[in-house]
Amino acid sequence: MTHIHTSPGVLAPGDDRSVAKRNGPGGNAPPAAERPDRRENLAGYLFMSPWIAGFLFLIAGPMVFSLYLSFTEYNLFEAPRWIGLQNFTDMFADPRWRQSVKVTSWYVLIGTPVKLAAALAVAMLLAQKRWGQSFYRAAFYAPSLIGASVSAAIVWRALFSDDALVDRTQKVFGVEAGGWIGDPAMIIYALIALTVWQFGAPMVIFLAGLKQVPRELYEAAEVDGAGPWRRFFHITLPMISPVLFFNVLLETIHSFQIFGSAYIVSNGSCGPADATLVYTCYLYEQGFVNSRMGFASAMGWLLLVAVGLVTAVLFWSQKRWVHYEEGGR
Amino acid sequence: MSRNNGMDRRQLLKLAGLSAAGLGLTAAGCGSGGSGSGGPVTIRHSWWGADDRAKKVQSCVALFEKKHPKIKVKTDFQQYPDFWKKFNTQAAGGNPPDVIQNAVTFLRKYEAKNVLLDLTPQAEKGNLDLGGFRSGLEKFAEIDGKLLGVPVGSNSMALVIDEKVYEKAGIAPEIGWTWDDWLAGLEKIKRGQKIAGDAGPHGVMYLYDLILRQNGKAFFTEDGMGFGEAELLPYWTEALGRVKSGLYADPGKVEQIKPASATAKGLSAGEFTWDNFSVRYSAEGGSSYGLAPIPSTDGKKTGQYLGSLMLSGTARTKHPAEVATFISFMTHDPEVARIMGYDRGVPATTAQFEAYEPSDAPSKAIGAYETAIADAGVLEPITPHPAGADVIEAAFLRIGADLSLGKASPKDAVKQFFSEAKTALASN
Repeated sequence: MTHIHTSPGVLAPGDDRSVAKRNGPGGNAPPAAERPDRRENLAGYLFMSPWIAGFLFLIAGPMVFSLYLSFTEYNLFEAPRWIGLQNFTDMFADPRWRQSVKVTSWYVLIGTPVKLAAALAVAMLLAQKRWGQSFYRAAFYAPSLIGASVSAAIVWRALFSDDALVDRTQKVFGVEAGGWIGDPAMIIYALIALTVWQFGAPMVIFLAGLKQVPRELYEAAEVDGAGPWRRFFHITLPMISPVLFFNVLLETIHSFQIFGSAYIVSNGSCGPADATLVYTCYLYEQGFVNSRMGFASAMGWLLLVAVGLVTAVLFWSQKRWVHYEEGGR
Repeated sequence: MSRNNGMDRRQLLKLAGLSAAGLGLTAAGCGSGGSGSGGPVTIRHSWWGADDRAKKVQSCVALFEKKHPKIKVKTDFQQYPDFWKKFNTQAAGGNPPDVIQNAVTFLRKYEAKNVLLDLTPQAEKGNLDLGGFRSGLEKFAEIDGKLLGVPVGSNSMALVIDEKVYEKAGIAPEIGWTWDDWLAGLEKIKRGQKIAGDAGPHGVMYLYDLILRQNGKAFFTEDGMGFGEAELLPYWTEALGRVKSGLYADPGKVEQIKPASATAKGLSAGEFTWDNFSVRYSAEGGSSYGLAPIPSTDGKKTGQYLGSLMLSGTARTKHPAEVATFISFMTHDPEVARIMGYDRGVPATTAQFEAYEPSDAPSKAIGAYETAIADAGVLEPITPHPAGADVIEAAFLRIGADLSLGKASPKDAVKQFFSEAKTALASN
């Protein structure tokens, strides 16, 4: 991603790759240099071998195996039995699977924009020079460091349970609705609030992007009489659009994969009434509780394809709204 | 390819081979640790439960290691659902713990997958004492001639009631009362004290099993379901009506106060559960709680049986004799009963039953309740649970809740349940 470099346009995509190609095996380097190159390469591969072995055995191998499993019925104990596309047809006929797609889509559609808006808003506040600025930056970033952890989800559960802090605060205002955690209509918003609260990572990236916007543009706009909103929509947003694109992409993919917080906040039930049955939660339940590893694998591959499609659409759409500086792309 | 390159590659392969062999050696070294003659043997024991059970089990293990210095026991515990997820993975990977806490719902599931150890040979060799079990528990976990577990305690379904509410309403449940009596009681409680009479029993599989048994059926047969839509649809339709009329507690509130119990939190005057669970109520709630018998259809047959937690060995264990010795100790040693109390139900052997005299009111009530139902002669043998029963139980509970929360009509809920049950039976 070139556009997050501090000086866009200096490094074109594919630059490093083309360097590697020239020196690598099969490249068109002169034959005289071949031998020392080979030896060097061998040493390189040797040093890389732990990673390569890890990739083959822990990532590539299991992926290929799970692709095979997605066409089988497999309960962990007996040999997988080939059933063709049945897992996929079962999936579409399964109301709980449809519920999981619904819950996940809702979570992505609501959670991602709100989180990015919060990140951008706070980044703009923190971009201004003021006393104690570095303290505020650290303070706002801290939740993302602990946010993905189990402990944060447990705290969240404690906050939003019946008769806990949120419930009592509601009561002060005369809302006797009970905790959010046990309410099928509300628990998903507790999860969304949790993800929004962890806006630190996109915030830091926004901050870096905001720092790159030339001051002169604002000064010129101010001279021309543009108010703060105008400056935001006509200078800030277009200037940081590559950073925004990067954040949208990353956060969307990230949201699709929500598991830990949903699992823990719902106490491992993905409930009540399947209200937090996010896609991966259902996948996990099918695989490890109901012993349907084939079905779970099929679900995993479908998620991969879906995330791939969404990513492709985002990339396609960027032509319309992402502005790169000349040479950047 | 040049010759040089080929050599290099061979060397590389050799190197890889060597390191792989090295890994293999270390692995083998680990695996054989301590087995064979003389040296101490280590077995692993895992169970589900909360921290207080863990403390009790660990005291028992310390006592066991003192009495059997050549056997070491490594322990591990999780909460109930996490326990089975971990166990599934361990068992599929060929590395399950040697001794596990177990329940009848899982027997056939793991028997079909050859995960459980047949303890019969160990009993024949004298490593496992099968004498002295209380009646109804002797052949508890025998399936197809294999002994797959030994009960550590017994429990039975009961109706936990808020005694103050029942007293105020002037209801005194006793053995022989019928469902009509029970329902009349719920209505009286709702009229007089404006609270729901029951937490909503329609998702409790073990209670529905009793109701089916009272009517000559059962929840399960050996390999499938013992009832059909024709039985479940009226039961769930009726339940939804009672939720709406307020005879059963507000399901939304019941969800919100979880994991606390509805009766302890004052949402209902009673709920059906296992008798040994009643210990938690006085800790959670502010009233006094008692055990009432299961109502029946004809005033006689309650369909009840003794359920139980048990200890099972796993088939991959390298130390079946030590496994049997440990299980025997846990089920027979009087000292163990004094440590465990009624934590896993009322002790399964007479020796242990007599060794522990409960001093707290809830435990006394559990002991009295089990003696009463045994004396009344309502106990019957348990119905088998097919492989997949655990998944079906979870589905019954979840779909029952969906129904009362208004997420599904009775008809859709029943259809969904049988569709999930079918899948669970087929894939387990």
